[in-house]
Amino acid sequence: MTSKTSQRGFSRGWIVVGLATLMYIYLLFPSLVIVPISFGNRAELVFPPRTFSLDLYRDYFGSADWLTVTGRSIIYAALASSLAMVVAVPAGYVLARTNFPGKRILVMLVLGPMMVPVVVISLGLYLYYLKLSLIGTAIGLVVAHAMYATPFIVLTTAAGVESLDEQLERVAVIMGANQSRVFSQVVLPQLVPTLISAGLFAFLNSFDEVVIAWFITGPSTTTLPVKMYSSIKWETSPVLAAVATILTAVSILVCLAAYALKQAALKRAERKPCRTIASGGAQSESTN
Amino acid sequence: MALQLSRRELTVYLLPVAALMVFALIAPLLMIFWRSLGETSVSLDAYIDLFKSRLFLRASLTSFEISISSAIVSTIFAYPIALHLSRLSDKWRPIFLIFVLLPFWTSILVKSYSFIVVLGDSGLVNNALVEFGLPKVPMIFNRIGVLVGMSSFQIPFVVFPLLSNLLAQDPNLRRMAAVMGAADVRIFWQITLPLSLPGLLAGVVMCLVMAMGSFVTPALLGGRQDMMVANLIDFYTREALDWASASAIAVVLFAVSATMLWVLSRVRRDSGLI
Repeated sequence: MTSKTSQRGFSRGWIVVGLATLMYIYLLFPSLVIVPISFGNRAELVFPPRTFSLDLYRDYFGSADWLTVTGRSIIYAALASSLAMVVAVPAGYVLARTNFPGKRILVMLVLGPMMVPVVVISLGLYLYYLKLSLIGTAIGLVVAHAMYATPFIVLTTAAGVESLDEQLERVAVIMGANQSRVFSQVVLPQLVPTLISAGLFAFLNSFDEVVIAWFITGPSTTTLPVKMYSSIKWETSPVLAAVATILTAVSILVCLAAYALKQAALKRAERKPCRTIASGGAQSESTN
Repeated sequence: MALQLSRRELTVYLLPVAALMVFALIAPLLMIFWRSLGETSVSLDAYIDLFKSRLFLRASLTSFEISISSAIVSTIFAYPIALHLSRLSDKWRPIFLIFVLLPFWTSILVKSYSFIVVLGDSGLVNNALVEFGLPKVPMIFNRIGVLVGMSSFQIPFVVFPLLSNLLAQDPNLRRMAAVMGAADVRIFWQITLPLSLPGLLAGVVMCLVMAMGSFVTPALLGGRQDMMVANLIDFYTREALDWASASAIAVVLFAVSATMLWVLSRVRRDSGLI
């Protein structure tokens, strides 16, 4: 009987694994196929390439245009993700730990950018920025991208805070720490891995964002995705294969870094007997 | 939830985020409403024109068609992945999750570009077809291209809710059914699948919402006849310079998405009660 059920489980397992493998390939294929193609030659973009060369990368690094927009995108993404972190991390903490009147409205407000179609937000920003003369300015784009990354950081921070031991914060309060000290010296240090990965993803979010940027940037603020979008739409030049590969590499790095941080955080949480002692102590105190 | 903050502390923690949202989200949205109602005097002209416009009606129909078909395709494709992930051990699951997270975090431009290269007239897929003596199939700048691009973008969004649903299912139910002699196929159709319906529905609605507003995929992988409402907004804004029409379309799109999200929240709440 056991052998029979395990055999059945085995056969069914293979169907699921087979289908899932096909789907993993379907998902990963477009991100990965462009890598070998980008090392082919200029004349024809094929997979697998007939001859390998660095021509397309020479084109990319030889083009002042592409380098300028890349550098610009890096700067804007760094500014936007920093602004978003400064604004969203405290909010994530408070939303995870407190109740207050109007909390539901604030949650709706903060998660709004995830709910509204991005093209609607983009048109709104376009019309609004026209009035404020912010079209084509760096500050306009940075603020817009910070807004767009906020829900993601709030959710990540709130989830991180919820996984922390609240007793530690109570102990700190009992020991006489005020609220800002609890936040900066008890909560934030424990959240470092969460915050780094939230920051990385916020950076990537802005670095890859195309629709908002398409609507509100001007010639002097064109970002890499905007240039890429119009280049795919109007000319499809082969150098795009190199650009796409570089973007894929950035995504892979960010994903792996976030994964490593998460694993490190899990390991650290396992190896922390002192935390359970602290929480146990506080628990008995509060129940007494 | 024990933390007590004074009014002043709440302000310090929450005012910056509220200010950012009001400035960069709420004000722009209000701007669209205002523009759609006519700038000088309040009128519904833009909406009346819209529902008389063949262009808009066709783009709406196309958007519904593409959204529904891409939601179906994405759900069918996502299910085996979620099922596979749910049966993995806690050690292996994060590793296989990377295969879903990486495409999730890959720029949609990268994916669109590589689909153009791979599915194009002399791309990998068509060359393989010729190799096997089959005729070439046009796969980009038409509906197939849009559906491929959409589904590759949406699958992760279905996998996540479905996975959390599958992980929450009690494995004893399946074990019990197996002990009672049910075949695996029957266990799937009568236990796993029905129990996963709330997660599935959440994924489908999420797909519909995202697809309705999608901009890049139809613009890059679709043909002229695949113009969706988002592309129409872009057209009215940048080429026709008709901001009232663009705003009216945006308001309609906003209302449709909000309705779908409301349905989704009801589904989530109802499924929580079961």
